Amino acid sequence: MLNELRNKAETAFKANGFPTTKEELWRFTDVSRVASAEFSNDWKTSDLEFQPLDKITVVFENGKLSREKSNFDDLPKGVCIGSILDLVDPRIGTLADAQSAFVSSNTAYFSDGAFIEVTDGTKFETPIHLVFLADVDGAAFHLRNFISAGVDSEVTVIEEYIGQSGATYWTNVVTEAFVADQGFVDHYKVQRESATSFHFQTLEAHLGTGSVFSNHAVTFGSALGRNDIRGKLTGEEGEAICNGLYLLKDKQHFDTHMFMDHAVPKCNSHELYKGILDDKSRAVFCGRILVQEDAQETDAIQSNGNLLLSRGAKVNTLPQLEIYADDVKCTHGATIGELDEVGLYYLQTRGIDPVKGRAMLTFAFANEVLDEVKCKVAKAYIEGLVHEWLEQVEK
Amino acid sequence: MALLEIKDLHASVADKPILKGINLTIKPGEVHAIMGPNGSGKSTLSNVLAGNEAYVKTAGQVLFDGQDIDDLAAHERACAGMFLAFQYPVEIAGISNMYFLKAAVNAVRKYQGKDQLDAMDFLDMVEDKKKIVKIRDDLLERAVNSGFSGGEKKRNEIFQMAMLEPKLGILDETDSGLDIDALRIVADGVNALRSPDRGFLVITHYQRLLDYIVPDHVHVLVHGQIVKSGGKELALELEDEGYASWVDEKGA
Repeated sequence: MLNELRNKAETAFKANGFPTTKEELWRFTDVSRVASAEFSNDWKTSDLEFQPLDKITVVFENGKLSREKSNFDDLPKGVCIGSILDLVDPRIGTLADAQSAFVSSNTAYFSDGAFIEVTDGTKFETPIHLVFLADVDGAAFHLRNFISAGVDSEVTVIEEYIGQSGATYWTNVVTEAFVADQGFVDHYKVQRESATSFHFQTLEAHLGTGSVFSNHAVTFGSALGRNDIRGKLTGEEGEAICNGLYLLKDKQHFDTHMFMDHAVPKCNSHELYKGILDDKSRAVFCGRILVQEDAQETDAIQSNGNLLLSRGAKVNTLPQLEIYADDVKCTHGATIGELDEVGLYYLQTRGIDPVKGRAMLTFAFANEVLDEVKCKVAKAYIEGLVHEWLEQVEK
Repeated sequence: MALLEIKDLHASVADKPILKGINLTIKPGEVHAIMGPNGSGKSTLSNVLAGNEAYVKTAGQVLFDGQDIDDLAAHERACAGMFLAFQYPVEIAGISNMYFLKAAVNAVRKYQGKDQLDAMDFLDMVEDKKKIVKIRDDLLERAVNSGFSGGEKKRNEIFQMAMLEPKLGILDETDSGLDIDALRIVADGVNALRSPDRGFLVITHYQRLLDYIVPDHVHVLVHGQIVKSGGKELALELEDEGYASWVDEKGA
């Protein structure tokens, strides 16, 4: 069955090719650099290091699971972790948007990926840390992740992408997450690809009745990158939280496309996205919220704030509300600004020099997104990375 | 040596001359009050002293503790022992009051060649100083001034002053927007910080604050110049007569 899906996807990808900037969804992000590049299938073990965040790590080196570097043998009953090549679920490939070139190429060519399943009633507290290492110059890595949380279950997944500095490669990920009724998936993505790489991920979540899908996507890396995050709220009282932070410099280009589909009543979706942009970097944020006719009592909040540290940085932010129900609470807002000079002066009058003051104010701006992070190890880790990034920018 | 020596100070805001020749000397232990009507240049004076770059010193000289302030950036003036309590304290979301204060205290200590305070020493200091203005614990954990009432913000300013232990405290209309109870708490805090080696410059429109913080010297600022100086009784005189006679004399 999977083979059939892959063949179909390959045919579709070859027929349609990559999107161009003439297409509405790709208006601000030109992927011709990816489309015209030749990528190899070369493979080697990875020399990159990583920091395990907790007891469970699932490590993929250059697109393939490394049992040696991973640690997921000791799992309680009801928790299944493995390679997507070894484990089967009929829902694989049913959620991700088959029209997208990045999804179809991924379906056709994925070399590996994580399969995570927690069964009904299983609450697994240890975060599952997925580590994707990339250090083959010129390679393409297609990775496919699948997360299934059963009825009244709980699981935390941290996807971390680490790349070799200076290496040019293409990471193309699709993650499908199914959250059954009353299930809770706490999902994080930390993107630390090399500054010369291309990184694309489509994250699709399917939410059942009373379920919660929470996602925090933090982006530091890639020359050209994009997150497509799509949530389908299919049962009443579901809740989708999709927060994110992108920290960009030099000529980095990073795009977030969000789509929240409210198909049924009484669901919440909350999105808080912040960006800090230095040099000539560029960010795109497009947040589309669709409230279908039946989706009464929808509560949807979206905001996107951007801080520009340099005059050369640029942001395109496009909130889109599409509402067909009449009893809903939907708000959205977007800001683009510079650091508050009055705040900086205030810090200075308390003895804090402007360099440190700027760093404090910039961190404060980002911190609002991290405030919502539930997983303590993820929060501490991400905060450390944000500080590190800010220190580099201040230099 | 004088703590603050202002000689023929001229200053402009957006190319508009505001201060037109101020002379003022504050010695350690003294409390000087500057009173004046709206638009007389009171806030310009405090901002020029503190180093706000929007306020440009165009002539004259200011010596703080013997050092020309032209040689010091705003944060260096703070580190050298100058403290400005803002008329409108700034809200900073995302930074807790405690984190902010620890950064400030340690920045000042570093400049002065003192050891950095560790978390424990810092907390001991907070416990000690918070009594001065009766500041609530939850305000310390909250983001700097975010969602504070007017009175809480002013108390937080005095609390910061207590923590930073400056040589010179400049209070820029600290009484504005305070009811009488809050005014008393803030004034008590300032009085607790008076000492023989610390000076204060209290800038105010109204005499009321000076009932609680009793000054040694009072100066009347009108149209960017000090038009009269005297003892604390001058404040009472102004309370009775207002600023009208000076403003009229100048033909404003």
